[in-house]
Amino acid sequence: MKENSDSGSEFERLATPLFDSLYNFARWLSGDEAEADDLVQEAFTKALRGFASFTPGTDFRAWIFRILRNTFLTSRTGLRAKLTDSLDEDEGEIIAVTWETPESLAVAAATRDALQAALERLPAPYREVILLCDVEEMKYKEIAEVLLIPIGTVMSRVARGRKLLRQSLAGERPGWSASAGKMDE
Amino acid sequence: MMNCTEWQHRIDAYVDAELPPSDLHAFRAHVETCPACASMTLSVTESKAAIRRAGHRYTASPELRAQVFAAMKRERSEQHQPLPARRERPMSRQAWWHPTSTAWPRWGIAIAALLLVVVGLFLVTRRQQSTALAELVDLHVADLASANPVEVVSTDRHTVKPWFQGKVPFTFDLPEVQGSPFSLLGGRVTYFHQEPGAQLLFRYQRHLISVFIFRQTPELSLPASFSDQSSSFRVRTWIQGGGLRYVVVGDAAPAIIQQLSDLLHVAQ
Repeated sequence: MKENSDSGSEFERLATPLFDSLYNFARWLSGDEAEADDLVQEAFTKALRGFASFTPGTDFRAWIFRILRNTFLTSRTGLRAKLTDSLDEDEGEIIAVTWETPESLAVAAATRDALQAALERLPAPYREVILLCDVEEMKYKEIAEVLLIPIGTVMSRVARGRKLLRQSLAGERPGWSASAGKMDE
Repeated sequence: MMNCTEWQHRIDAYVDAELPPSDLHAFRAHVETCPACASMTLSVTESKAAIRRAGHRYTASPELRAQVFAAMKRERSEQHQPLPARRERPMSRQAWWHPTSTAWPRWGIAIAALLLVVVGLFLVTRRQQSTALAELVDLHVADLASANPVEVVSTDRHTVKPWFQGKVPFTFDLPEVQGSPFSLLGGRVTYFHQEPGAQLLFRYQRHLISVFIFRQTPELSLPASFSDQSSSFRVRTWIQGGGLRYVVVGDAAPAIIQQLSDLLHVAQ
């Protein structure tokens, strides 16, 4: 084996199993098929060309998800989302989560369609944390690496994101404005 | 002593398997005695599973897949050559089909595409497997939270085994647990994708362990033998006794799950 192809095949070995997850995440971020295609292509190209800067033995999944997300943030949709995005949270502080029984059952009882619609309505900062935590099943530390935010912020966004989903599905007054919820559309 | 509100702040971390070990035992001890916190923990666990299923929503087109992987291979073969000037839209959809846009031979693309289909199938199977596994873990958790975790309450295998006759479409043998660190608490009929099966509940110290036995069906898409230690639950599964699928789920240490699995193997 020639030396120059070693890092390429190592990249392929690490990146291939993540292709589906990265595509799914890109689609959720952008909300658009053509844009998700471009994002994934660009992220793979960037990651491959920048593979030398990846430290072997560290978390490759967090590294490549971060590249994908940064690619999204600098895209047109991403920049627009960033401008309209405001978070009603105390960063890093665990917010008080109150529980009401019908609300607590709302997510598990929801249909797949209703749950997907509720995830779409979730403000992007919560949606991405919920996707990484529940769909990709990343650890809080890994999510913090992808998003470049403190672990405390990951925890408060997980708690608040789940709370908002429950409220949204229980048909209560959601804790965010309708316009912010639609920012990706 | 922490009150319920303080415990409830830890439910998300518990369900995400992020609770520090120092809090874990205290949390479990509290949940075992507090139905309100137990039901909230269960609802967050179920929500997380529902979100996981709903979140796996989009699949890349075969064209995109082929394009990205072909580009990856091309990039690799060009690594020692100067990089091509950046195109306006790198690797655009049309470029892949355009014969002059790449030095990659057509048969190479065909082989790459075929490989991708194989890898894709592998990944789809993997996802089905993890979904089936997650559903079984959910069954275990839901059972522990229910008011009657077992329908036949007996520590005697000679009572539990005949109870299942006529209730599940197969027979199975139960191990002798006397002299082992496990005790049998009882069993119940459970369902996985409309297929009836047996669920046996064992206790090891303070841990409850479920053993599921189903007829092997296509819906029960798990590897023939498998052990998962990634979540807070340990899972071991295998097939024995003419197409019976055994799945052991519990939060005890991997060695304990293994020990119970060995006992069940011996019973056969």
